[in-house]
Amino acid sequence: MSVATTSPQRADARRSPEAGKPLLTVQDLKVHFPFRRGGLLLGKVGVIRAVDGVSFEIRPGETLGLVGESGCGKSTTARAIVCLVEKSLMSGQICLDGERIDGLSPAAMLPHRRVVQMIFQDPYASLNPRMTVGSIIAEPMQIFSLHAPRERKLKVMELMDLVGLNPTFLNRYPHEFSGGQRQRIGIARALAVEPRLIICDEPVSALDVSIQAQVINLLVELQKRLGLSYLFISHDLSVVRHISHRIGVMYLGRIVELADADELHHRPLHPYTQALLSAAPIPDPVHERHRKRIILKGEVPSPDREYPGCPFASRCPIVEQICREVVPPLEGGEHLAACHKADRSTRSGGPG
Amino acid sequence: MPDALLTVDNLHVHFKTDDGLVRAVNGVSFELAPGETLGIVGESGSGKTVTNLALLGLVPQPPGIVAAGKALYRGEDLLRMNVGRLSQIRGRRIAMIFQDPMTALNPFLTVGEQLTEVTRLHLRHTAEQARRHAIEMLAKVGIPAPESRIDDYPHQFSGGMRQRVMIAMALSCQPEVLIADEPTTALDVTIQAQTLELVKELQKTQGTAVILITHSLGVVASVCDRVLVLYAGKIVEEAEVGALFARPQHPYTLGLLQSIPRWDEDAHGPLKAIVGQPPNMLRPPSGCEFHPRCPFVLEKCKTESPPLEMAVHGGRKACWVAVENSQLAAEGQR
Repeated sequence: MSVATTSPQRADARRSPEAGKPLLTVQDLKVHFPFRRGGLLLGKVGVIRAVDGVSFEIRPGETLGLVGESGCGKSTTARAIVCLVEKSLMSGQICLDGERIDGLSPAAMLPHRRVVQMIFQDPYASLNPRMTVGSIIAEPMQIFSLHAPRERKLKVMELMDLVGLNPTFLNRYPHEFSGGQRQRIGIARALAVEPRLIICDEPVSALDVSIQAQVINLLVELQKRLGLSYLFISHDLSVVRHISHRIGVMYLGRIVELADADELHHRPLHPYTQALLSAAPIPDPVHERHRKRIILKGEVPSPDREYPGCPFASRCPIVEQICREVVPPLEGGEHLAACHKADRSTRSGGPG
Repeated sequence: MPDALLTVDNLHVHFKTDDGLVRAVNGVSFELAPGETLGIVGESGSGKTVTNLALLGLVPQPPGIVAAGKALYRGEDLLRMNVGRLSQIRGRRIAMIFQDPMTALNPFLTVGEQLTEVTRLHLRHTAEQARRHAIEMLAKVGIPAPESRIDDYPHQFSGGMRQRVMIAMALSCQPEVLIADEPTTALDVTIQAQTLELVKELQKTQGTAVILITHSLGVVASVCDRVLVLYAGKIVEEAEVGALFARPQHPYTLGLLQSIPRWDEDAHGPLKAIVGQPPNMLRPPSGCEFHPRCPFVLEKCKTESPPLEMAVHGGRKACWVAVENSQLAAEGQR
């Protein structure tokens, strides 16, 4: 666990790296899943708009956090980036390191998988129970013919050491490890091909509270050492805030606000972001008892139809007529918000 | 607390497994006062759920064994009660909400059928009375158009709505005790806030005492009066919620509080993670179960299990370390 304790300049590392050429650019990404309503025969075909026009970029060495509630499209966005969504269902552009990777066949995508890797939510389901840890971590190296076969074992042990696993456990099976250790195995496997971008889909949500911090610290430490970029997806605002340089807030398949992490906390512009922040419990009873919550009415509307105006209009506490008619564009320079009524000039201080 | 509604005394629950005996609950004692909200915090496997299942006679036996202890509800021992008497209390006086509203409701029965079953059984309502009452309860938990929704099946409700149905069902006999096992864990943040508000409000109007089982310290901070912290089947600390967060007396509690990132904090040093892994309950560590992960460990901790004793914050703690003048107190100041 040496990794967990040694990062004195964390504050510096957190600052957004200089705007260079983006490593990943996503432009107007849409993923629409068709479905049949009312049984096979009388079926009327509809469309679930899981992701409905998402654009963002990730710079080298940067962590972009995506937050939102279940069904908002954050995981589908991640899967589309690594080509785990069938190409006929998606539109828009995805550029990795300047090259378009959207709609590539699995074979054509393969070389790009050296650049972008993924860590999954469930460390129990994402490791093959019949393979030893050593062979799990070595498999990506074999696929890309990295290192001489003889050196691979050494490389695997180095990786295990890097992520805080005992390298002598090489020949053990996943079931012999705890949840947090398994997540470390998943991280080591992702690192095996020396990627530059790792998509982390809820990587700590399945872990116990005391283990979450270990894994978060590990990810931060690895980013500093290896210059990695992360797309970090989570429903846990506190975790996203801690690890991200910039944060995108998703609602009903769209990004409704995107800003620097601290800026988003101090000056949330979109009413959904404000509600989300005010709903997140803070482990401080004194603070909690005096906090004013924005309790949203109702629930997220179904993504199976197109809404004429702002997707949040049905629950928004400050909704006006225009919101129901015109989709607000995501705009505002460094601090983007998609809201007709966002006061971009003076407001300061978040809710709570 | 002479007027305790529920007194649990030295509860032990074991599970026989192929690999040996697991002492899931290992001497847990606590009291619940009328109308209070008691939080039970701990990680998976700490015994928080099993403790409460045991109170309601819901530990599957075998492989479970309620090996020792008492759980007095108004002078009657729940652990030694015959099934007939227990069924009169379960759902009527002590109700439970489960974590997963998807699996806790019967998919073959309408919500109305499930809601009315409770009151027809316990309150001897007629079909018509029960239906009226069920509609009332659905309205109370904020389900729109309850007159028509009552005939819907669970799959026609969203996750948040299903949890509301569960709450309506649990509260429909006005129980004195509500046990809520991770009631908001499966829910989204904004729906979680709605649900917690609802529980708080219903508690205020009905005077129900609540046992809230959770792993989220944020949830504890926002709704609980008093907190038990469980580790490896034992209570390691108990205190009023304010005292627990301000002056944690057990290194595990302190570690938990320090390891979680806070949304409202600008400082971004590395998180102070608790080292090591949760204990293997088949072979728990000797002495204090937390000693292999404890930053303040003493020689004594490795051999002798500390008793749960009065602590300076007015609650109880099970730890050998003299906290008040140790670095623990200093570290407590974030």
